[in-house]
Amino acid sequence: MSALLESPFFGVTITIVAYWIGVKIQQKTKLAICNYMLIAVVLLVAVLVVFDIPYESYYVGGNLINLFLGPATACMAVSVYAKLELLKKNWLPVLVGCTVGVATSLISIFVMCRLFGLDREMTASLLPKSVTTPIATAISQDHGGLVAITVAAVTATGILGNLIAPMLVRLFRIKDPLAVGLGIGACSHAVGTAKAMEMGETEGAMSGLAIGLCGILTTVAALGFELFL
Amino acid sequence: MKILLQIGVVFGVYWGSQCIEAVLPFPFPASVISLLVLLGLLLLGVVKVDHIREKSDFLLGNLGFFFVPAGVGIINYANVIWENAAAFVTICVVSTVLTYGATAWAVHLTCRLMEKKGEREK
Repeated sequence: MSALLESPFFGVTITIVAYWIGVKIQQKTKLAICNYMLIAVVLLVAVLVVFDIPYESYYVGGNLINLFLGPATACMAVSVYAKLELLKKNWLPVLVGCTVGVATSLISIFVMCRLFGLDREMTASLLPKSVTTPIATAISQDHGGLVAITVAAVTATGILGNLIAPMLVRLFRIKDPLAVGLGIGACSHAVGTAKAMEMGETEGAMSGLAIGLCGILTTVAALGFELFL
Repeated sequence: MKILLQIGVVFGVYWGSQCIEAVLPFPFPASVISLLVLLGLLLLGVVKVDHIREKSDFLLGNLGFFFVPAGVGIINYANVIWENAAAFVTICVVSTVLTYGATAWAVHLTCRLMEKKGEREK
């Protein structure tokens, strides 16, 4: 039996089933907290624990899925390219906004990690948590973080951003769709962008643009991590 | 054959980026290099969006799916998260609020400054 569990087809199949259930539940409930990724992960963890299946067996198939993360990041170039006109027209506010956002995110996380006395591994895992998962995990791995913790923090941040985006808009009293969209994309990547798209076309496009740009800027800033970690 | 070629283009760009990553003297993830390379190829017109449309729609449309196995890895670190639960939650909430506020205000102020400058030039 254990040999069958170690077949890559096992891991890939149960991941697709769990993901499909997650997407269905989200479509039915339309609640941000019922995030399909979160549901899929919870279901799979439950299956592994209940049936006492080692993570390593699951990962034989899981690793095949992981393989696509890199090429998926490459394809984000297509969405940035599609918004090129918008970027050309507003390049200065976009660049200033994303730079300030990335700096705020990194500095605030770093200061809080120190305040909580977290070790190097946890700090490296949490630092890139405001950017999109494929970029955040790559940065975390490069600097000695734990990829699983980074995925958890990125997902939690995205769901949070999606839930509180309308409150944030009121709290900071800015209605300009350009500012709102970039703000949401900078703080809560793709999951937040889903909410920005509901708010309006400009908000959604700007939020999507911020995902790619903040990811690139964070990677560049990450080169300086070694000085602080 | 069309889809196969599209996979070839995207995987080829990614492999090329892994080669670049290997020779760079500092840590810079291949995934971000491949984003920049593909964007460059699109801007130069070497690759057209039509060359990779279906493949990129498939990858981006199901982006969440590809993170699931990495997320399940949390099973190995449940105790680490549990021990640091207060820090984890605080950091997620505070940095999200601050990042939104700082970005939105920075964009707002930049736009205001540009408007003022525009008025003066008139």
